Amino acid sequence: MHTLIQRPVRVLSLSAAALLLVGGLAACGEEPGSAGETTAAATTDAASSLVIGDPWVRATAGTEDTSMTAAFMTIDNTGDEDVTLVGASSDVAGMVEIHEMLMVDGAMAMQAMDSGLVIEAGRGKVLEPGGYHVMLMDVQTELAPGDEVALTLEFSDGSTEDLTVPVKEFTEEEGHYHEPGTDEDHAHDDESDTDMDSGDMDSDEGSSDHSH
Amino acid sequence: MTDPSSPHRPVRRISRRGLLGYAGTTGLGAAAGAGLVVAAGGDSPAPAAPASQAPGGTVSPWGPHQPGVAQHPPAVTEVVALDLLDGVDREALGRLMRVWTGDVEALTAGRGAPGDPAPWLSAPGADLTITVGVGPGALGADRFGEGPPGFAEVPSMTHDRLEDRWSGGDLCVTVAGRDGTTVAHAVRRMVADAEPFARLRWRQVGSWNGTDPEGRAQTGRNLFGQVDGSGNPRPGTDLFDDTVWIDEGRWAGATTMVLRRIRMDLDTWDELTRDEQERSVGRRLSDGAPLTGGEELDDLDLTAESQGRLVVPRDAHSRRSHPSLHGGRRIFRKGANYTREVDTPRGARVESGLLFASYQADLTDQFVPLQRSLDELDQLNEWTTAIGSAVFVVLPGFEDGSWLGESLLT
Repeated sequence: MHTLIQRPVRVLSLSAAALLLVGGLAACGEEPGSAGETTAAATTDAASSLVIGDPWVRATAGTEDTSMTAAFMTIDNTGDEDVTLVGASSDVAGMVEIHEMLMVDGAMAMQAMDSGLVIEAGRGKVLEPGGYHVMLMDVQTELAPGDEVALTLEFSDGSTEDLTVPVKEFTEEEGHYHEPGTDEDHAHDDESDTDMDSGDMDSDEGSSDHSH
Repeated sequence: MTDPSSPHRPVRRISRRGLLGYAGTTGLGAAAGAGLVVAAGGDSPAPAAPASQAPGGTVSPWGPHQPGVAQHPPAVTEVVALDLLDGVDREALGRLMRVWTGDVEALTAGRGAPGDPAPWLSAPGADLTITVGVGPGALGADRFGEGPPGFAEVPSMTHDRLEDRWSGGDLCVTVAGRDGTTVAHAVRRMVADAEPFARLRWRQVGSWNGTDPEGRAQTGRNLFGQVDGSGNPRPGTDLFDDTVWIDEGRWAGATTMVLRRIRMDLDTWDELTRDEQERSVGRRLSDGAPLTGGEELDDLDLTAESQGRLVVPRDAHSRRSHPSLHGGRRIFRKGANYTREVDTPRGARVESGLLFASYQADLTDQFVPLQRSLDELDQLNEWTTAIGSAVFVVLPGFEDGSWLGESLLT
């Protein structure tokens, strides 16, 4: 079993850094560039107002459970209307869901977003480890760094966007959100994780259950 | 965690390409810096020091050419060469180039690379460019195909003392930026993401001071103290474009790069008188101006004599490499100074030198004749020795939505 605890701290740090950056640049009327606008597939409708950036899929090669992984990216909505990411599909996965991370009994746990992920007009969402992600389940093929995965995003108005997503190694230890069975254990056994807003938890948590 | 959602990001109102260019080393960066100072100092009782200009810019990775070639040299340059693994074919190269394209777009914009374990090491305003080239081993039928006209290894020169340690390579990544931490992080991501395809062969690091104390661009000096690069064609001119860019064929938009690692013997150089040092090149040490007069960027008068002898000696470096001796052939050169500690039986010693990068449309037609001329006769040969040499085709630029090398691999 792997530790689950470092990841939420990382997410907080990243968010704080990003907020500071956006604030600083916004102050002078410039925008820092939303996330990378790398992928512009032929699309229509809702998808045409979206800019997908920095997509990647976590490799399964070498992990304990190669049947599931997740895709991450940024999604910016440059249009005037909210758009909801309602689902996705990939030929490497038997099932794909849009997930969020929630605090459940003091620990982070992932949960399917049945009504989808809303990307508000003029806003963006970051899908990243420890946060929103496109969960790929029933993955039959081992995904190694250097591979590419075809992923189709599905939006609330029926439009779709086809992506070719690189598979990358993620060097951090496997997080519990990849393994639904493990977060429940932690949620019950480890009550020290309740204050996820604390910025000084790195050292406490880093030492709390490194058992390997 | 109270709100697991991401920070909201503002909408793009202007394209990034419109905002940011390689020349934008003051405008946007300065404005952003001022904004940060205001935001951070809002409640501060003591007036902060005057907001200094943020010195860096953010360089768009998109365009007909990779922007790092023409970029004014920032403080730090790292060059790495990689060797492709057996069996990496055209299809695999495509995957590598696509993953590198995503890395280049993110890192140069100041974001972590996708999947980056340490995204905080990326920040905008780093003057960061990442330039990808391919060596002879990456060409051929099932890789990048035939190279551009004139692309070949540099013939061996009599003064060469090349070491494998600093030579060759199938792929090249040049990362330049205003601070070594950001540059090192970008190099690490690029090498790590290449791991399924290629292994690091060598890494070379150098520095350059291309900014004067008032913050203006200057040519910069090598470790001999010479202003180095005064004769370069200026980016943005027709002469530069004609010198550097391949303008037709499947490599249109590319250039070729020769990287020579040149060891410099500073100890014996320092024994020369200033007059001897200046005459070895034909330029003044104080400002790089020709010994025949004028200012740094003025041309040399190769016919000028004083007291019956040539002012620029016949074996002076700037005469031997002057375009007028080579039918107008020229190169665009960029330097990065290196120092390196070397263990000896009597303790550590510092080796100094220059990472000399030469860019030209046709390597054999432009670089080789100049190098041969210098190999035959150049006073500087007494204090300089090439100990590494590698050649690469710098891939054409790519546009938003495309990827490095796409037209060559598909």
